[in-house]
Amino acid sequence: MNESLISPFNITHPTTVQTSLFALASFARFDPTGRYVATARVDGTAAIWDLDTRAAVRVLDGHVKAVSNLDWSRHSRYVLTASKDWNVVVWDLASSCVPAQRCATLRFDAPVVSAAFHPRNSHIILALMSTGEAYLIDQRKAHRARIELCEQQEESDDEGAGSSTRTRSAITVARFDPSGKHIFMGTSGGYILVFNTRTKTMVARHKITGAGAIKGLEFTKTGRQLVSNSADRTLRQFTVPMYPSPTTDGAYIEQELEPTHRFNDPINRTAWHAMSYSPDGEWLAGGAADTATHKIYIWDISNEGQFANALDGGREPLLHLHWHPFKSSIASTTNQGNILIWHCPHPERWGAFAGGFEELDENVEYEEREDEFDIEDEADMIRRKMKEEEEEVDIDTIPEAAKPRDVQLHGVQAGDEDVAWADEEPDDDVQDWKMRVIMEEDWDI
Amino acid sequence: MKNLANSGNPRLDSEFISPCASISMSSNRADDSSTDDDAASQTTEDDPQVPEPPAPVAAAAPTAGPSITASREKPNYELRHTIRGHTMSISAVKFSPDGTLLASCGAEKMVKIWSPFTGELIRNLNGHTQGLSDIAWSSDSVYLASASDDTTIRIWEVDSGLTQKHLKGHTKWVFCLNYNTMSNLLVSGGCDGDVRIWNTATGKCMKTLHAHLDFVTAVNFNRDATLIVSCSLDGLIRIWNTSDGQCLKTLAEGHDAICQHVQFSPNSKYILSTAHDSAIRLWDYQTTRCLKTYTGHINAKYCISACFSVTGGKWIVAGSEDNKTYIWDLQTREIVQVLEGHTDVVVAVATHPFQNMLATGSIESDLTIRIWSDRPET
Repeated sequence: MNESLISPFNITHPTTVQTSLFALASFARFDPTGRYVATARVDGTAAIWDLDTRAAVRVLDGHVKAVSNLDWSRHSRYVLTASKDWNVVVWDLASSCVPAQRCATLRFDAPVVSAAFHPRNSHIILALMSTGEAYLIDQRKAHRARIELCEQQEESDDEGAGSSTRTRSAITVARFDPSGKHIFMGTSGGYILVFNTRTKTMVARHKITGAGAIKGLEFTKTGRQLVSNSADRTLRQFTVPMYPSPTTDGAYIEQELEPTHRFNDPINRTAWHAMSYSPDGEWLAGGAADTATHKIYIWDISNEGQFANALDGGREPLLHLHWHPFKSSIASTTNQGNILIWHCPHPERWGAFAGGFEELDENVEYEEREDEFDIEDEADMIRRKMKEEEEEVDIDTIPEAAKPRDVQLHGVQAGDEDVAWADEEPDDDVQDWKMRVIMEEDWDI
Repeated sequence: MKNLANSGNPRLDSEFISPCASISMSSNRADDSSTDDDAASQTTEDDPQVPEPPAPVAAAAPTAGPSITASREKPNYELRHTIRGHTMSISAVKFSPDGTLLASCGAEKMVKIWSPFTGELIRNLNGHTQGLSDIAWSSDSVYLASASDDTTIRIWEVDSGLTQKHLKGHTKWVFCLNYNTMSNLLVSGGCDGDVRIWNTATGKCMKTLHAHLDFVTAVNFNRDATLIVSCSLDGLIRIWNTSDGQCLKTLAEGHDAICQHVQFSPNSKYILSTAHDSAIRLWDYQTTRCLKTYTGHINAKYCISACFSVTGGKWIVAGSEDNKTYIWDLQTREIVQVLEGHTDVVVAVATHPFQNMLATGSIESDLTIRIWSDRPET
C-alpha cells in the first residue's frame, strides 16, 4: 500500500542488501504471501523467519540429516521439508505448539533431494529421490496413492535388444508448473519430460540439445516461460508449449525445444546454482556458482534478455537465491549460512519532512498565476470548501487492487478438468489465515 | 500544495513547527499518584436515567448540504451501562477485536478489563508503576499492550492477567501505541518525540524514529502495516514507511490546529485527525487534501480521540470538552446525535468491532465509562 507514496518510478530489480539474517541456512525461500522466509539447515532443522521483525518465529525440528528442500503451500499454512534422512515432513504453521509438531511424515526408501506441494492442494506432493526416481503422492481419501512417474520408452519394433540395453536416465529435477496441471522433470540425459498430474502419464518429451544433465527448472509466475539450468553452465529460457489433454493410448509429443534466450557467463564460464524470475517475469536473476564471490546476475527479459546488472554480495559465495513473490526483493543464501535480503532502496526525500513542500529535480522558473495572490472573499472560500467537502468518501471497502490477484495461468481454461481434479478434497489452507505470534524469550537457533 | 522551486534540500527549520507551549496535556497523568484505594471502590450500576432523546440535528450543522441530508438514517444510541471503578482520570477505552471485552486505563497504574455487555469488572492488570496513557489489543484478542508513564510498555496475556513482555526503551513517558494487523509489530510514541517499532514476539525494540519535536500523541499502522502515521503536539502529522523508517509525507494544518489524535480509515485510504481548533479532519494522505471537516464539538485543550463507526451507518464519533459525545454523519458532516451523561470531559471513545455499541470514558470529576448501544434487541 505504500508504493504510491514511495516512488513513482520504480526500478524493478533489487540492487543492494537491505538486511542479512544470521540463519545458518543452506537455502531460503519466500512464502507466497511474502511475509516470511523459510530457511533450511544442514543439521536437519528448518526455521520460519518473519520479514517484518526479521526474527525467527518458528523452528521446525524433524530431521536427522540435512534438509535438502522445502516448499510452501498455496497460502503459506503448510510447509514441507525434504531431507536426506529419507523423509518428507509436512508442518502446519497454524498450530502454535512449541516446539512445532509435524502433521504428516512421508517415508521413502532413498534420500529425498526435492519435494513440492501441488500448487492447488497440499495433499498432493511430488518427491524426487537421489536415486533419480520421482513419486507423486496423493493423500486425499478418494485418490490415495503413491505412483512413480516413469519415462515412457520408445516402442521398439525390431531393435528389441537396443531398447532394453538403453538405461533409463535418472531424473535430476522435478517441478510442478504454476497451475499444477503438469509436472516438468529434467533428466541426466538432457531431456525435459512433461507429465500430466491427474493421469500421471507422460505427455511430452523435449530434447534440449547440448544441455547435458538438467540441474534446475524455474517458471515465471504465469507458467508461460521456463528457464533451465544444466551441466553446460548455460541457462536456457523456453516458451512453454500448450499441451493437449492426455489421450488414453499413451501417445506423447516428442519435440525439441528451442530456447528463446540463452544466458551464460562468457568470460568465467561459471556454473549457476539457482535462478529465479521476478514476479512480473520481466527480470531473471541467476546465482553464480563462484567459489570466491557472491554474485547475482540480472537479465532484463522484457528487453530481449539483455544483461542488466551484476549484484555483488560480498565474499561469502552464493548457494541459492529466490525472488520475492511480489516485491522487488531477493533472498540469497551464502555458504556461511547467512541470508541476504536484497531490496531496491528509495532515496531519502527530505522534502517529506516539511508539509506542503515538493522536491524538484532541477530548478524551474516559477510563473505566478494571474489570480494566485488575489485575496478571496472569506465567505466564498468557506462556501467553496464546503462544496468540495460534499464529495462522498469511502472509508471501509478495501480496494480491489490491494487484494492479491490470481494471475492468469498458462494453459488453464475455465472448467479445466485437471484443476477440478486438484481441487477435490481441498485442504484447509485458506487465504486469510494468520500465523499466531508466539512469545518466546529467544529462539534456540 | 504549492510547487515551490526549492531545488535540493528545502530548509527544515522551526518556522514550520508551530510552538505549542500553551497546550496543556490531558490531565490524566497525575505524576504523584499516591492514594490508590482502587479495589475497594469497584462498583457497577445500571444507570437509572432514561436515555436522552437524540439532539436536534439540522440546526447544529451549519454545513448541511441542501438535499441529501433529509432522508438519511440517524443513529439512536442509548445508555446501557455506567461503569464506575476508576479512581483517577481515564485515558483510553478499547473493545477487544473479538468484541467480548472492554479494556480501560487511566492514571491509576492498572488496566481494567470489563464485560461490555454486563458492565462487570473482570480483571485488573497490575504491574506498571506509573499512570497509563494508552492501550491496544492484539488482533486475536489474546494480548493487550499498555503504555505507561513509567517509560515502559507491558504486553499482557489478558486471560491470565500476567505480563508476557516488558518493553523498555523509551526515555520518557510512553503516550500512545498500536498493534499491526498481524500483531507481530507494535508501534509506540513517547513524550520525547520518538516513535519506536517493537517486535512483539521477543519484546525487543527494532527501530527508533526520531519523529517529532514534541509529545507524540498518536501512532497507527495502516491495514497492511507498510505505513505508520504519527502526530505530535509540534503540529505535524507524518507518514512513515515501516520497513525502513523513511518519512514519506508530512501534513500540517494551520498553527492553531495542533493535532492530537490520528488514525487510518478501515480501508487505509484516508486518515482521520482531531485537532485543537475543535475540528476533526478526514485527509486523503496521497494528495494531502482535507476531504471532510467535522465541527460542532469543543476540543482545545485535551487529547481527545475520534473513531470511525462502520457497524451500522457510517459515523464519526468523538468526545468533547463540553462533556458530551458527538456523532457525525461521515458523508454530510452533520451532527446526527449527541450523547449526554458524562459530567466531565470525554477524552476516550471506542466503537465495538461489529455491534452498534460505543464506550466513552471521562476524567477527573466523572471517572465513569459509559456503554451506549443502538437499537436494543430486548
